[in-house]
Amino acid sequence: MLSTLITGLVLGGTYALVAMGLTLQYGISRIMNLAYGETLIFAAFAAFLLFTTFGINPILGLVIILPVAFAVGYVIYGVMMQPLVTRSKKSGTLEVDSILATFGLLFVIQGVMLVAFGSNYTSYNYLNVGINVLGANIAANRLLAFALAVIIGATLFYVLTRTRWGTTIRAIAVNPNAAPLVGIDVNRTARFAFALGTMLAASGGVMISMYQTFNASMGVVFTMKALVIVIMGGLGNLMGALVAGLLLGVVETLVATYVDPGLTLAATYLIFLAVLLWKPAGLFGKAAGR
Amino acid sequence: MTTLLKIQNLKKQFGGLTAVNDVSFSVAEGETVALLGPNGSGKTTVINMISGAFAPTSGRIVLAGENIAGLAPNRIAHKGIARTFQLVRILPSLSVAENVMAALAFRPNHLWGTEARDRAEHLLLEVGLGGRGHEHANDLTYIDQKRMELARALAAEPRLLLLDEWLSGLNPTELGVGIDLITSLGQRGMTILLVEHIMEAVRALCSRAVVMNVGTKIADGPTADVLADPAVIVAYLGDGHA
Amino acid sequence: MTRTILGFALVALGLAALAWLPTQVGAYGVGLLLGMTGYVVLASAWALFSGPTRYVSLATVAFFGIGAYTVAVLSETLPYWAVLLVAAGIGLAVALVVGLATLRLAGVYFVIFTFGLAELIRQLVTWYEVNVTGTLGRYIFLPISPEQIYWQLLALAALTIGIGWLIARSRLGLALKVIGDDETVAAHTGIDISGVKLALFAVSATIITLVGAIQAPRWTYVEPSIVFNPTISFLTLIMALLGGANRLWGPALGAIPLFLLFEWLSANFPSHYSIILGLMFIAIVFVVPRGVLAGVEDLWKRLRRKGEAA
Repeated sequence: MLSTLITGLVLGGTYALVAMGLTLQYGISRIMNLAYGETLIFAAFAAFLLFTTFGINPILGLVIILPVAFAVGYVIYGVMMQPLVTRSKKSGTLEVDSILATFGLLFVIQGVMLVAFGSNYTSYNYLNVGINVLGANIAANRLLAFALAVIIGATLFYVLTRTRWGTTIRAIAVNPNAAPLVGIDVNRTARFAFALGTMLAASGGVMISMYQTFNASMGVVFTMKALVIVIMGGLGNLMGALVAGLLLGVVETLVATYVDPGLTLAATYLIFLAVLLWKPAGLFGKAAGR
Repeated sequence: MTTLLKIQNLKKQFGGLTAVNDVSFSVAEGETVALLGPNGSGKTTVINMISGAFAPTSGRIVLAGENIAGLAPNRIAHKGIARTFQLVRILPSLSVAENVMAALAFRPNHLWGTEARDRAEHLLLEVGLGGRGHEHANDLTYIDQKRMELARALAAEPRLLLLDEWLSGLNPTELGVGIDLITSLGQRGMTILLVEHIMEAVRALCSRAVVMNVGTKIADGPTADVLADPAVIVAYLGDGHA
Repeated sequence: MTRTILGFALVALGLAALAWLPTQVGAYGVGLLLGMTGYVVLASAWALFSGPTRYVSLATVAFFGIGAYTVAVLSETLPYWAVLLVAAGIGLAVALVVGLATLRLAGVYFVIFTFGLAELIRQLVTWYEVNVTGTLGRYIFLPISPEQIYWQLLALAALTIGIGWLIARSRLGLALKVIGDDETVAAHTGIDISGVKLALFAVSATIITLVGAIQAPRWTYVEPSIVFNPTISFLTLIMALLGGANRLWGPALGAIPLFLLFEWLSANFPSHYSIILGLMFIAIVFVVPRGVLAGVEDLWKRLRRKGEAA
């Protein structure tokens, strides 16, 4: 039981990090990014390549992958999303347009990965040794991934709540229309937030590659999980995403251990349905934790 | 006179802000009542709660003996309450006649087809838009859009008509026409609750007035008495004028 | 009035010609016609709901798969027509549950929910088959020829477009226009907004379920990963968008060329298929966001205005 709980929390740490990136993209950039999971899997493949071809371990891999992911997100926003944002000022169709455009992007990235890596499951062996935590046996790579999630998540939290730039970002999440009145450049911040979200997705991908098998068409599942977490936590609510992510990790692990591994997604959806029916604003209300 | 609308201890909070606090008043069948007060006093919030745009935090809104507080706006519309909006709201992609037919088609005893078309034409004639049903709602002038909005509200054959600053933004000639139009509705026995800033119109139209200030009711009575009430004058003009 | 009658006569003539076509084109041709008609129905049914409400439904294959799988499970125990009815009933029930949970909320909740719905149902069916019935994969032996499938789909296409035509002339159609213009006014004139959306979603989902059920005998062998293939949702969406989801004939017009194109792509570029699809998708969003038909109409209006000015 305890080992299940710890495994769940470790998995939930990655989920929370991934969901925080998505909530940044939706809450601040107003882009509902359906290609989010593909970005994540792409980073997982990148970590795999770096490790198997160049012998670079995933920790060092992060140092390479994260800046690249940030740049890629920055470019994608500028090239694809910015024109849609500009266009939607008249038509008010950003939500639908961004969903459709990123849906297209999903298939492009997935297609590229299928061509490059095929459709087989991939994994590599890194720090795959058991470590005893409070009497439970947990693989070292999982623990390392959890530690990384905590470090990255805490840094993000610090930046968003303690710095001037973070305040800017949160101001936009609360009221995008009023932000320009106090001298905030909404476009630039939105672009930055989108890039930051991409970076978080990539970091999640690297972590997942460390302890789990993955394949080119798996991204959709991660997008779905991240979306469910984001909604559970309340759209745009970072703290909510954190708690909901941990919760989902634990629930999934419990279901996989005690019910059936084939039903984890069903469990996720059941929670999702319950939240929609009972508290559509998220488990923690709208204003909590901002 | 029987009471049509009875508001009891109505309260609305937005987060920590109390927009409407413990307001009670009633409107009798066939009466035209003004809901007055300076900007931000909570009048429109009251109208929005009666029509169902917001659910009240607490309190009762009783229409002909039935508590309708917190019902969805479409349910309240079916109970017999129609409204116009502070900033006129037209359906821009529809024709003038279709704007009115929209209300005819979705009231409880709905009309459709030629019946609806004839009725819409009749209502448009009544508000002074006779023969202009085919025009695009978007092409109408401001006053004509207001007329169309009134025709749409009347199309529902409401028991209670809510007019939210329907007369504002009109020039003096148009104002005269507008006052005559509402007077004729009142003479036909329509019950009207209106929010208005133009005192000339309030004096001409309303036998009774309810005044709000900072979310609470400060006066309720015959229009002339209420408008002479020192508390009302202070609320509107500030202490220096009392 | 005479124009309406003329229109109906033309459509009837066209339908008769299409129904006669299989006798002329051979087995491969019938296969193409069948697939194309299937997508015409899917795209039209999708647009029935998603066009006017602008709710992007990604659940097409969830309903399609429900239809197909119901046939696979029941084809030996019930007569064919009863199987179709049961399939439609299950599709309707699922649509009502999904709709009731999500359509009261902002559109984005609906999109997200439908995004994973097919995957969820696929996993549930797989789990059930493996753990409860102990079989994964089923055979369908129904004495139904491809021509018969094609005729059924053709009839369903006519029905779907007919429903679209009727809705545009009904109170429901007016309600949709009012909601599209101003939801606040819609609610205050007595329109039950979530009811309208739910009704449309249910109709659309039921038709999509029937497409899956009717096409199922084509496969002979069915398993969850075949009938819940997400590409179907994707193709349906892109076809309806290309033609224009707010036009009666738009989805059909988008479905025909794209179906042929995708057939050719999957035969000649199987490994680059999904990249090309994705790029086309992005191109449509950027170049013809309201569909080709609306684009052509705009162009036509501009040209006429220029002509009047000259």
